[in-house]
Parts: sequence; structure tokens; C-alpha cells
Amino acid sequence: MKLSGIKYLADQGVENIWKNKMMAFATFCVLQISLLLVGISVLFYFNMNSMIQGLNNQNEIAVIMNEDATDETVKKVEETIRAMDNVHNVVVHSKDEILENTLESVPDSKPIADRYITDSDFMPVGMSVTVTDNNRIAETSDEISALEGVQYARFYYQIAEFLRELRRVVSLIAGAIIIALAFVSMIMISNTTKTSVYARREEIQIMKYVGATNSFIRMPFFVEGMITGFFAGAAAFFITWLTYSSAYKVLMQQQYFMMAFGAGSLIPFGKIRIFVLLAYIVAGAFIGALGSVISTRKHIDV
Amino acid sequence: MVELKNVSVTYSSGVDALNNVSLKINDGDFAFVVGSSGAGKSTMIKLLLKEIDATSGVVTVNGYNLSKLKKRKIPEFRRTLGFVFQDFRLIPSMTVYENIAFVLRVIDAPIKYIRKRVPYVISLVGLHAKTNSYPDELSGGEKQRVAIARALVNDPQLIIADEPTGNIDPELSYEIVELLKGINDQGTTILMVTHEHDLVRHFGGRIINITDGEIVFDEIIMGANDDLLPSSEPEVQSLYNSYEPAELSPGEEAAITVDEDPAPAIDDMTPDDVIAAISGTKSGGA
Repeated sequence: MKLSGIKYLADQGVENIWKNKMMAFATFCVLQISLLLVGISVLFYFNMNSMIQGLNNQNEIAVIMNEDATDETVKKVEETIRAMDNVHNVVVHSKDEILENTLESVPDSKPIADRYITDSDFMPVGMSVTVTDNNRIAETSDEISALEGVQYARFYYQIAEFLRELRRVVSLIAGAIIIALAFVSMIMISNTTKTSVYARREEIQIMKYVGATNSFIRMPFFVEGMITGFFAGAAAFFITWLTYSSAYKVLMQQQYFMMAFGAGSLIPFGKIRIFVLLAYIVAGAFIGALGSVISTRKHIDV
Repeated sequence: MVELKNVSVTYSSGVDALNNVSLKINDGDFAFVVGSSGAGKSTMIKLLLKEIDATSGVVTVNGYNLSKLKKRKIPEFRRTLGFVFQDFRLIPSMTVYENIAFVLRVIDAPIKYIRKRVPYVISLVGLHAKTNSYPDELSGGEKQRVAIARALVNDPQLIIADEPTGNIDPELSYEIVELLKGINDQGTTILMVTHEHDLVRHFGGRIINITDGEIVFDEIIMGANDDLLPSSEPEVQSLYNSYEPAELSPGEEAAITVDEDPAPAIDDMTPDDVIAAISGTKSGGA
């Protein structure tokens, strides 16, 4: 086919959008809603995952030294723990800090403590150890417990297990929802493009009778579907941008939320903007073009 | 050239739409195909367009053996034809010009040629003033003239017109057939399917009557002016003499007669016989 022929067919595709503007608008809306449903679900899942990750990172091993451990022993134990491959960070808490934390956890203990406790020598030194791989936390905790001068090492096993389980369940549910939404979207898109093509089945048949090849007939539908899909993707992107940024701003202002999940657990939109834009536009154009072309198949065989 | 050799079509429902039909239409001929509805006319048209395949027999159109034609070659074959539908089948979103130019776009014709050829055929059908109108803005007769221009623009060897006057006023019907006759004068073969016997009687020419899937009449008759009798004019006589009937085996000759009675020689027919033959009914005098 000559270049002028391709240009003509591409022009026809663009013109068809205008000529069949109601159907094009319907396709645009359905595509946009479908993209939004799937897109926002995916982003929600990513953030959920990141938040659980944030919670997970706060899981740590509490290490309590013997009361009589010397500074030298404490130093030695700290170094040994730091050298362990699964250890991410070690924070040493002095006897004063441990006493203060303990008193804080006992309601109304302050006046009594002020009266009877003069020094913190009777308290042990403590350490907070964060691990890199939470799946190996029990193993690391046992290793630390076995060290000389360590009274015990403890981690909140149930929280760690719960988080792992939560992540698994969220992944499964999110995966199922995303697949279901993608499926429903495909049906919606397929029905809309089918209706759009059905309205023009006579046009397709006339083209066949005057000797048009299948690719000649499909090309304008392909261009039309691709352009509609492209704009649906772009519109979905802007809606996502607005919604996401607003939700991000609101959540960032929630102190408790931030404390619970960690400041970095939500993904800022700026970080994923290009990825989201490309994903929407490529998916929109691809689904739009493919939907249109597949829908012509039924009417093209005359 | 159109040639059907012992063609039968049986639909999956078991209906025999065409039964051992043989027919030959030479280049430059103008033939009317008549018959009541359900007689097999539409099936024949579908066969000629390669929309369906013959159950048995050979269909040859413009040098293409349709029984052996591959699916991907169908567009190439259809470009040698012009087709006029009863319901016009114009693309409503395209102007008169675009509807006609579209056919040339399909064959990837140069833009310069399209710009020259399309206005020419539009003026041939007398619609110059309506070039930029949309089909909805045209009368039935005008729509059909656009359809004829579209069939003509590709300079096809054969134009098949399926009931082209079916959806338009009777007085305009004559204009449409006149137009097709004029195109035929330029050498294009025309096959016009119709059930309007008045038109056929008026214009005369080669009449092929299909009844119950069989050709029951295939002769050349004169127009209404000479009372439907074969012409004694030398010109028409020579046309009649040059007509080659389809080659039939002896057993099949009966198929082109009314029932099993031998058909009377056309010279011996009365006007009533001819009308009866066109209508596909048995004449009392035959």
C-alpha cells in the first residue's frame, strides 16, 4: 500500500471518531472507567504492600543484658550482634533509659519511683535490634540469646507472623480484585466496541462488496480505537493524579497513621508519575485498538 | 463474462435454491434476470459475488473460476465487478463524492486519478449539483444513481444490479434502466435482477427467468413498442443471431423450457406466451 493510502486510512480513523462521536464517547468513558478501576486497585495494592513493609521494619528484637554485665561485655555483645548477617541496626539503651521506659509503662508509678528509686544501677542494659529478613527473626533471636552476658532476647513473634499473613492475604485479595476488574473491564470494552462496530456493519459489508481487503477495512477501526484508548488513558491518568495526590496529602497529615506505618511507607505520586502515565496510555491505546479490530471480525466475513 | 455450468446450490437447511443451472452471458450483453421471490435469483447473485459457493458445478465470472477462488483473492475478484443494491447501500457518513471515491481508494488509485474520475462519473449520472450532499439529503432515485456511479467508477467489466428499481418510484425506474442501458452501450456487461415485468416488457432484450431454482426461459425479446414480439429489425435480429446460448447437454435442454413441454420457437410465440414465459407461469396456448 502506498503512503498516501495509509494516510487516507489513518485520516478515516480520525474522521470516524468525529462522525461516530456518541459511540466514540461511550468507548472513551468505558475504557477510562476500566483503566481507573484497575489502575487505582494496582496503586492501592502497591501502597498497602509498602505500608505492611513499613510495619514489618518496625519489628525488632528486644535484647536484655544481665544486670551485672560490664560495659566491656555490653560493647562486645553489641559488636557481635552487629556482625550477624541478618542484623540491620543495633541501638543500645542505657540503664537510665530502660528504667524510664519501664516506669512509663507502669501507670502512676512516677511518684513512688521518685520517692524510693535513687539510681538505675539495678536495671539491665538493653538493645533494640532490627533485622533485614523478618522471616529469619526467630533464628537471629536465638543466636543473640546464646551470647554470653545476654539475659534474654525477645521478639513479638505474633506481630511478625500476623504481618506476614496480612501481606499474603492482601496480595491474594488484591490480585483477585485486579483480575476480576480487568476481566469485567474487558467485557465492558468488548461490548462497547462491538456495539460501535455493529452500528457500522453495513459500512463494512459495502467495503467488502467493492473489493476492500480486510486490512483496509480494519485500519481505520484500529486507528480509531487506538486514539480513543490513548485519550481514555490520558484522562484516567489525570483523574488518578488528582485523587492520589489528595489522598496522599490527607494521609500524610494523620500523625497516628504516619507513626504506625512510618513516614516513607506511602509512595509519593511524583515517584511513579511517569510509570503510571505510560501504563495508562499504552494499556488504553492497546486495548482500544485491539477491541475495535477484534469486533470487526464478525462482520468482515462476507 | 459470466458462465454457470451445471450449477446447483443446496443450503444447509436442505433447500435446493438452484438446480443444475447452466447459463452464459457474454461480454457486452445486457440481461434481465426475472423470477418470483424465492425462485433463486438472490442465490444466483450471491454465487456471482462469491458470497456463497456452489454445491456442485462451475461458476466463472470475469475469468475467475469462483469454485477455486481462494479467500484472499476475493477482494481482487470483486474489483472487476460493479454492484448495485436494491437498498442503495451508501455509507451514510460519506458524501456522494466520498461514497464513489471510496471504491478507488480501495484499489489504491492515485489521488490525481480519483479527482478526475469521480466528478466525471458523477456528471455521467447527472448528479453534479449533489456532489457534496450526504445520502440522507437525496431522493431514492438520486441515491440509486449514486450507487450506479459507484458501480461504474472502477470501470468494471460487469455490473450486477439487484432489483435496482425496487425502492424507487415507477417513473424513476425507467430512468435508472435507461442509465444502465447507456452504460451497457459503452461495452459494460449488465446483469439486472428485477421482478418488475413492466420494465422488462418496455425495454426488452435478453430475459432469463428463474423459477424454482431452474432457468425456465432464456430468450431475447423486443421492447414493448412492437408488442413483445421478436424484432424483425436487422439490428435486433443480428443481436439475436449472435447470442450464444449456454452449452447444455441434451438432457438439460428441457430445463430452460416451461415445465417439460418443449418451448415454442420464439418466432411462433404470441405476446401472451412471452408475458407468461417472463412471469414464469404456464401459458394456455403453449
